[in-house]
Amino acid sequence: MAARREPELGRRGLATVAITGVGTFTGARTAERLLEGDSPPRIVALDLRLPRRLEGRVRFHRVDLTEPTADSWVAEILEKEGCEAVLHAAFFTDPHPDVELSHELEVVGALHVMNAAAAAGVRKLVVTSSAQVYGPHPDNPGYLSEDHELRPHPHAHAARDRAELERLLRLFAQRHRDMVVTALRPSWIMGPSYESAVTRRFESGRVLTLLGYDPLLQFLHEDDWLDAIETVLERDAPGPWNLAGDGVLPLSTLLRLGDKRSVPLPHPLLYGAARLDSLARTGDLPEAFWDHLRFGWLVDTRRAREQLGFEPLYTTQEAWMSFVVARKLRGYR
Amino acid sequence: MSREVPPEVLAELRASVRSLRRELEQRFGVGEPAAEGLAAPDAPTGAEPASDEELLAFEAEPPPPAAPGWLGWLRAELGARLEQIDVVQIYESLRERVALPSSGDISAEVDDFGLDARYLALARRWLDWLYDTWWRVDVSGIEGVPDAPRVLFVSNSAGILPWDALMIAHAVERTHSSHRRPRPLVSDWIATLPFSQSRLARLGAVRACAENAERLLAANEWVIAFPEGQKGALKPFRERYRLQRFARGGFVSLAVRLRAVLVPVAVIGSEEVHPILFEPRIVRRLIGVPLPVTPTFPLLGPLGVVPLPSRWRIRFGEPIWFDDVAPERAADPLYVNRTRERVRGAIQTLLDEELPRRRSVFV
Repeated sequence: MAARREPELGRRGLATVAITGVGTFTGARTAERLLEGDSPPRIVALDLRLPRRLEGRVRFHRVDLTEPTADSWVAEILEKEGCEAVLHAAFFTDPHPDVELSHELEVVGALHVMNAAAAAGVRKLVVTSSAQVYGPHPDNPGYLSEDHELRPHPHAHAARDRAELERLLRLFAQRHRDMVVTALRPSWIMGPSYESAVTRRFESGRVLTLLGYDPLLQFLHEDDWLDAIETVLERDAPGPWNLAGDGVLPLSTLLRLGDKRSVPLPHPLLYGAARLDSLARTGDLPEAFWDHLRFGWLVDTRRAREQLGFEPLYTTQEAWMSFVVARKLRGYR
Repeated sequence: MSREVPPEVLAELRASVRSLRRELEQRFGVGEPAAEGLAAPDAPTGAEPASDEELLAFEAEPPPPAAPGWLGWLRAELGARLEQIDVVQIYESLRERVALPSSGDISAEVDDFGLDARYLALARRWLDWLYDTWWRVDVSGIEGVPDAPRVLFVSNSAGILPWDALMIAHAVERTHSSHRRPRPLVSDWIATLPFSQSRLARLGAVRACAENAERLLAANEWVIAFPEGQKGALKPFRERYRLQRFARGGFVSLAVRLRAVLVPVAVIGSEEVHPILFEPRIVRRLIGVPLPVTPTFPLLGPLGVVPLPSRWRIRFGEPIWFDDVAPERAADPLYVNRTRERVRGAIQTLLDEELPRRRSVFV
């Protein structure tokens, strides 16, 4: 494996970076990484709570983005601290059971941050989106480019919200041409410590799959994900960017590599069971998840490679194996 | 990540099979008598071991009290025949001959569209058999196919399942001097059909759409397109070898833009593998998947999916070069339309020339 790329942020003159959602994996890890650099930037953290390991190392402001007046608070903070860039990572890692609250945070909250950043004269806004905004469809081309239409799964409210946010973001970027507005669309993130609804599905030694379907999947390693965030913070990279590890693997091969057994079930049965199981607990119908294991939604990462010089260190297979091995060491099957 | 069985394990397996067989022989007396002469524990407690015939009869069925002469003769005859049969050998040779690529025979890496080299290598035996024995494919005109970096084959399609796609790819790989295997583009409903989709992808098939074709050609892959699409594959038998309308001609603009050589291909015989009597629209509307009725299909159940053994001819036509065509013409609808019809005419001519040449459909 190649040597870790040296983070160059800070050297390029970003003195103050604001991170919303610093309690999430992405927010906290990015903050830690930025602080590890040679000339670390000052980090302004906004969230409901601060992870303990960041205490005293960042300037923390307690902000609830679902408040109706959150935009002026955030604008005030950004202006007072003199932030040059905002990383917006305040999203639920899992699809939240409360659809209304989720929409309030992921779309309206993000809108607050966007408007606040514009009002405070912030130069750069980076939003962590997801490749799930393209949606799994039988008529998707093999590889989805950034220009492809966003057709999130109608039952995946988190992906739907993210797609709506991306539309708002594009309008916002058109109105604020002096700002660099970046949206990152990672495919499923895998790694030793990243936890999400997706990784939990694959943790067990037996994985439910759809009988007769063997989709090609792509994963992005968590380190590459953080690398990508650092890269776009350091360089001006307007627009959406697809991110995924090199190579694709069929689900059956992934399971065999991870020594996991696949439990294939016919999809109508699985959808029915999923609906019963989930209506009680989450608002997100997991048939949306199953469709992601049924139809292709691979992303084309050539743009990030050619224009951003983003070379993932981990291939899809390596990202998957690092996930599997780490979970095994921690005692999962 | 090779899954080859090491020779020593294989030897051990063989030895254990052999010892099992020896035990079977001892107990039931099939085959040659045991070398060691050990008395089997379950042997009838008689003074002398029972004769072969008696034991065999016991194994087959409880002997009737008084067997007529012909039954005894049959039993003796059968026993003698059975003695000559080596079960292990048959089993091994069957396994070797069948060698269906199973889920255990996949490699840990696939290409961008899911082509699995190991799976393909194992499936090749089957493809060879289909090509040589089942359909006895006769290839002509392959020498006219240039060894260009980008070649786009355009063919008629028939026969519901993409057998023709697999056979054209196989024909090119086996007969062309470059031994390149083109990637067939298969229609949507096949590409998302459960079970077939993952296998076809492992064999190199790709869902037909402009983006996929462009990506493959840009990576200097050879591609087979079926511009008739679903209309061709599902047309009724009475319209056999009549080309349906070609789609918008995306393949022409692609070839012009990427400087690919276009090769018309005519496949004879694919219409007869699954002759479609009719295809009820209502079913397609209800379940979203076309379910055509063939003389064998719903009638014989799963057996009806077995393609009929017609004799095939694959004829490659004169290649069409676009090197002296300005790339801007790719966006000229009139030019694209004209070229598309020219290619369609070329394939229809090839079909009309080849059809009278075959003496019989199946022989």
